[in-house]
Amino acid sequence: MTSMFPRVLLAASLAFGVSGAAHAAKDLVVGVPDNLTGLDPADLNDNLSQSAARLMFEGLYMLDEHMKLKPQLAESYEATEDAKEFTFHLRKGVTFHDGTPFNAAAVKASFDRAGNPENHLKRQSLFVMIDHTDVVDDATVKVVLKYPFGAFVNDIAHPGALIVSPKSVQEFGKEMTRHPSGTGPYQFVSWSADTLKMKRNEHYWKPGLPKIDTITYRGVPENGARIAMLQTGEAQFIFPVPPEMIKSLEGSSTITVFDEPSIFIRYVALNNMRKPFDDPRVREALNYAVDKQAFLKVVFSGHADAMDSPMPPLLGFYQKQGSRPYDPAKAKALLTEAGFPNGVTLKAIQTQSPSMLGVMQVVQAQLRRAGINLELEVVEHATFHSMIRKDLGQVIEYSAARFPVADTYLTQFYHSRSSIGTPTAVTNFSHCNEADQEIDSAAIEPNIEQKKKLWKLAQQKIMTKVCSVPLFESLGVWARRDDLAYGYKYEGSLSGGPVINEMTQFK
Amino acid sequence: MKPSRAGWALPIALQRATRIFGANKISMIGLAIFLIVVALALLAPILSPFDPLDQHVLDRLQSSSATYWLGTDTYGRDTLSRLLWGARTSLVIGLASVAVAMVIGSVIGIVAGYFGGRLDMVIMRAMDVLLSFPTLIMGLIVVAMLGPSAINLIIAIALTALAPFARVARAPTIAIKEREFIEACRALGFSDLRIMAVHVLPNVFADILVMGSLWLATAIRIEASLSFIGLGIAPPAPTWGGMIRDGFENILESASLAVFPGLAILLVVFALNLVGDGLRDVTDPRLRGE
Repeated sequence: MTSMFPRVLLAASLAFGVSGAAHAAKDLVVGVPDNLTGLDPADLNDNLSQSAARLMFEGLYMLDEHMKLKPQLAESYEATEDAKEFTFHLRKGVTFHDGTPFNAAAVKASFDRAGNPENHLKRQSLFVMIDHTDVVDDATVKVVLKYPFGAFVNDIAHPGALIVSPKSVQEFGKEMTRHPSGTGPYQFVSWSADTLKMKRNEHYWKPGLPKIDTITYRGVPENGARIAMLQTGEAQFIFPVPPEMIKSLEGSSTITVFDEPSIFIRYVALNNMRKPFDDPRVREALNYAVDKQAFLKVVFSGHADAMDSPMPPLLGFYQKQGSRPYDPAKAKALLTEAGFPNGVTLKAIQTQSPSMLGVMQVVQAQLRRAGINLELEVVEHATFHSMIRKDLGQVIEYSAARFPVADTYLTQFYHSRSSIGTPTAVTNFSHCNEADQEIDSAAIEPNIEQKKKLWKLAQQKIMTKVCSVPLFESLGVWARRDDLAYGYKYEGSLSGGPVINEMTQFK
Repeated sequence: MKPSRAGWALPIALQRATRIFGANKISMIGLAIFLIVVALALLAPILSPFDPLDQHVLDRLQSSSATYWLGTDTYGRDTLSRLLWGARTSLVIGLASVAVAMVIGSVIGIVAGYFGGRLDMVIMRAMDVLLSFPTLIMGLIVVAMLGPSAINLIIAIALTALAPFARVARAPTIAIKEREFIEACRALGFSDLRIMAVHVLPNVFADILVMGSLWLATAIRIEASLSFIGLGIAPPAPTWGGMIRDGFENILESASLAVFPGLAILLVVFALNLVGDGLRDVTDPRLRGE
């Protein structure tokens, strides 16, 4: 009798276990490579944290799954002829997670806060063109710009311009990054070290959405551990999948691996202001010393494309420029010419994040063959982001996606206006200023043929004057369990892969 | 009964120590393993079939073969060569940090024990503060503050090991300073420094040495742990802990990448613990005269 008892218990627990699993399917666990750096949308510069913020916050406009501009918290907008005044008509009856209403005052407060230089928020550059924001009535807000800027609505579709609850800012100040309150489909529950928990926003303005009860972001730096999470069903969605492991996942009947060309670029920025990179020959030498083909064919098993322009081919106005072939002898000759016959020692600030560190270790070994000694100062991922933005780097590996137009890519990565150290800094770690004039003219040129020419010239200049070592696009390989559906047809995103949104659901 | 040992009696003590240690076969095996590892590390430039940093991208993640005896890692680097060169890192950092801790720790301990009183009190409470940090946490704090480099690793590990050495040196010093031969030295007008260096130190040295052999194992383990969490020597330098970390990335593809360096650490730590056990027997009063 007594020996029967544990068996009954076991059977019972198994039965409950099964039903428990069916219920648990409402919790979506996303396995990500790093811990989040914060949750204040105006103060984030890494894609990962932005992707989490996107679930809790919304902007006036957004880029939809087809990379098209779509109204979100705004219903429509009008712009004056001179592109200096933008009036937004806001969606009514929307509330923030903290219960306060979303209105024109909230939009003004959000923009004022993010654009105020005294607040030192990382996304201030998105708001530099704003002169002031006016509350017209509760559901109408007018933004007046300092100068004409036709792409203003595109600009604020960036995750850095998501609207935050003014109450949360008043209440928590800088600490708001730990107490996020927006209007998004998911609501903040808790965030500690490697785990962010969110729950369904019961009062979400889109009826019937979202479809998932809770979402958990788990930072799992080890690729192997992350993949194991997916295989065991502990996570339903992970990224990135290291290319050498794609094969083992593709054999699975319950897992779909996703890999498509993207606008996610990876390059090595060379600080042109610092020795020895003030000499273009040294920068060129580095380009000859990196074997991109070995990278693509072998390291990434073909799951990437070599960059042959400073911007990805999926964008309009892209012009193939061709990249410098692998030629260590030529690299050595260039270094000798530049006064470094015995090679040169360079220092990179490097994140610990395995996918980025891995790439840089290959670069490091390749450079070594050309007599270039690259020292890696390996620091934690958030430290890396803060260090490179203090202009401490000589060599910086960077990977990112931007709003998918030539202007954003070339301006933010290669225009001197975006140089680190300037008030309008974005991500021009190279301090490149070679194509400033072409970029500026192209952006406002009305004639399409002329515009094309200017963009081509800009790409050409950045490549020939060597501002960086462009590496490749599309490294992001994502995998999901088949019971998870994105809820839309994926066609590209700023994050370089499919994003979870309010449509995402379990089958 | 404890034989009285003055400074000049060290050779006799040493002879007896070698005899006791030599009789302990297990310890001899440990010593032999350790010496072999040291020899392999020293000969790494000759023995390594490949440059440990050179990436053979076409031969990534190979399993054991005639060319790559222990296979290659995710960058196509030869695992055997990296293990051999990694042994150098582990041993150098281990030995250097223990040597530093041993010297400074013994000086602190002897001074505290010899002078006693308030000085002893202050020094030992400071040591207690150091001891209150778990070993790995202490290393973590120091490396995180100073930045990861070989020297900083040595400082971090030495700081961790300082307090135990001070304690081990202090206890016998307190006993010895009351002995007649020390009193005799004082009566003869020897300086405190001379008494401590020539008459106290040889008598506490055996205990410190045992501690040193055991701490060498711990130091190697801490170095590996710090490298594993990414606070070790910067890549691409091969270290055992770093190799386990790299191997971890591909644990599902080829577990051997993490297993081989793991085994290497296991072997060295095991060997050093055997040596330490043997040395402990040497200094254990209960085993003396047997």
